[in-house]
Amino acid sequence: MISELIINAFLVTVMLAIAIALLKTRTVIFTVILTSAYSLVAALMFITLDAVDVAFTEASVGAGISTVLFLAAMAYLPKKEEETIGNQFIPALSCIILGAILIWCSYDLPQIGLVSSPIHQHVAPDYILGSRNDIGIPNIVTSVLASYRGYDTFGETIVVFTAGIAVLVLLQNKKKISKDTKSKIKKKVGRNA
Amino acid sequence: MHKNPILRVCTKILFAPIILFGLYVQFHGDFGPGGGFQAGVIVASAFILYTIVFGLEKGKKLFPSNINLLLLALGGIIYGGVGIASIFLGEEFLSYNPLGSTPQSGQHIGILLVEFGVGLTVSNVMIALFNAFISFKSGKAS
Repeated sequence: MISELIINAFLVTVMLAIAIALLKTRTVIFTVILTSAYSLVAALMFITLDAVDVAFTEASVGAGISTVLFLAAMAYLPKKEEETIGNQFIPALSCIILGAILIWCSYDLPQIGLVSSPIHQHVAPDYILGSRNDIGIPNIVTSVLASYRGYDTFGETIVVFTAGIAVLVLLQNKKKISKDTKSKIKKKVGRNA
Repeated sequence: MHKNPILRVCTKILFAPIILFGLYVQFHGDFGPGGGFQAGVIVASAFILYTIVFGLEKGKKLFPSNINLLLLALGGIIYGGVGIASIFLGEEFLSYNPLGSTPQSGQHIGILLVEFGVGLTVSNVMIALFNAFISFKSGKAS
């Protein structure tokens, strides 16, 4: 129990330190690397909550591939962020009030892992029993993700697909597009004439 | 292309184990942590590492972009196709029960195929995005 507390306190302290460093830094590459480190600590946080699949996703997607993509996209940004001078009192105050409300609300949440809490009473018992009897897969996360919630995962896959296609269309070489459209315009003009 | 020999040799050594680990995560997702999303990202990272170290041209020689775009769409088609196959075999969309001889084996086959489709789409989207970011820069410069 006490060791769990120490680990959680350590992770929260590291997360806070990274968040404060993120606020202070004005260099783009440091921002990207600190975001990656933040994701890695978040993955450790998920491991302490026994959510191994989520931790795996956070480590591979959040800390791994998104950092690489950010670094690849970083080439088009200026090296340093411009210093913005303005009144930051109201944003800071609203953040503090929102955080205080969230912390206050968290006292009403049921204890983590409590069997009698509503979230574990609704469909979770069916999934836990059905994953063994109907599907026969030891990893309940996979059976929920791919079978019980197959529609949602299908939607997710299509979202990834659509986002990828959209970015590809946006980033296509501009010369090619202009040539194609030019030839199309020429054809149209020729037909009209 | 990177001139540092350590980077190039390490990339060549690491390439196959990264893909092997990706395949392990992909097909072991039923029994341990993992699944299509994570495996897709891991497999994509191997190709992205190769492209970073050896350059865009060699990366495209290794994994041509027309195959990349084809596989990108194929993942979604596999997922949807498994769902429609269940309809033709007489049950609801994405109900995997009729795919095998028993409902349990049907579920196994369905989940494996569906996760494979997810992995295919995710990995190819990541590779295509990275290649698009890199080549956008060179297209702008020329």
